[in-house]
Amino acid sequence: MKRPLILVLSLLVLGAIFFVYTSFNKKHTDVATADVLQELSARELFASFDASEEEATQKYAEQVITVSGLLLHRDLSNDQEPQIILEGNGDDGFIRCGFKEEYLQNAMDLTDGDEVKVKGLCKGFNDAGDLDLLADRDVVLSNCILIALD
Amino acid sequence: MKNITITALATIAIITFAFSQHSGGVYKTNTGNISFFSHTPVEDIAAENHKVKTAFSSANGKLQFSVLIKDFEFEKALMQEHFNENYMESTKYPKATFSGTIENIDAVKVTTDGTYTSKVSGKLTMKDVTKEVSTSATFTVKGGVVNAKAVFNVNPADYNVKIPRTVINKISDNIKISINADYAHQH
Repeated sequence: MKRPLILVLSLLVLGAIFFVYTSFNKKHTDVATADVLQELSARELFASFDASEEEATQKYAEQVITVSGLLLHRDLSNDQEPQIILEGNGDDGFIRCGFKEEYLQNAMDLTDGDEVKVKGLCKGFNDAGDLDLLADRDVVLSNCILIALD
Repeated sequence: MKNITITALATIAIITFAFSQHSGGVYKTNTGNISFFSHTPVEDIAAENHKVKTAFSSANGKLQFSVLIKDFEFEKALMQEHFNENYMESTKYPKATFSGTIENIDAVKVTTDGTYTSKVSGKLTMKDVTKEVSTSATFTVKGGVVNAKAVFNVNPADYNVKIPRTVINKISDNIKISINADYAHQH
């Protein structure tokens, strides 16, 4: 009677240790291999946040999505995270995509005006509201990788 | 006559250029860095954000920041998840903003290479709580780019960040926030 009990308890303890260990060492989302929630155009993505930041944040934030659109320019001013800017609404709206340092060359190889496709982790909408010096509005993606156009 | 016209136009152009330089302008970046560091004897916690949107006016010293909370990256994914879901509730409160002033903006010569310091003060808003903060900032002007560095401390409790008792000894009540941004003139 005692032996099965000890066995069950041991298994429970081992399970708990395994659970704590795997939770603590949980890996960041690997964008390259992660499933894509949705594939959409840069304009569709921006329009979604523009219509309702709250709803779009609920839907897309921390999700891996694929976004295609017009590359307006590359912003290489932060050497820790090269970024590219896609047209969001043709006016004050943009999609800002950050890459890991190791993808700097991929960003360098692009040409302004290219149609590009990016897979990344959506982080939300940096719309500074009534802060008048920060009038442009960005949907922000991180850990991006470039995807070949179909 | 032609020479006089050219001279007059050149003079106007120079005056206009000089005026535009001295009357100030907006300096901005979307790629500023903010990092924070929490130290306790039990654990050190650090995170970085490289897409900070910030701008200042060299005319009146107005300074603004807007940063996405979810874009802070931690070494450990679990810490990042707890930070967003349990402490910052970043889906409900996605941004932190700062609106303030570079108090001694006249001392920051944005068109002359050099290093300048000024007190910066203003309102920091996180989780719908707004508090006054102030610190000293260093501005280094080089080749038209203005680099600004500043450090200040915040207590999470001041911004309605509730730390569970089980982890209270792992999170400092005096978190160091470091700012490092390269501003370029907006044309």
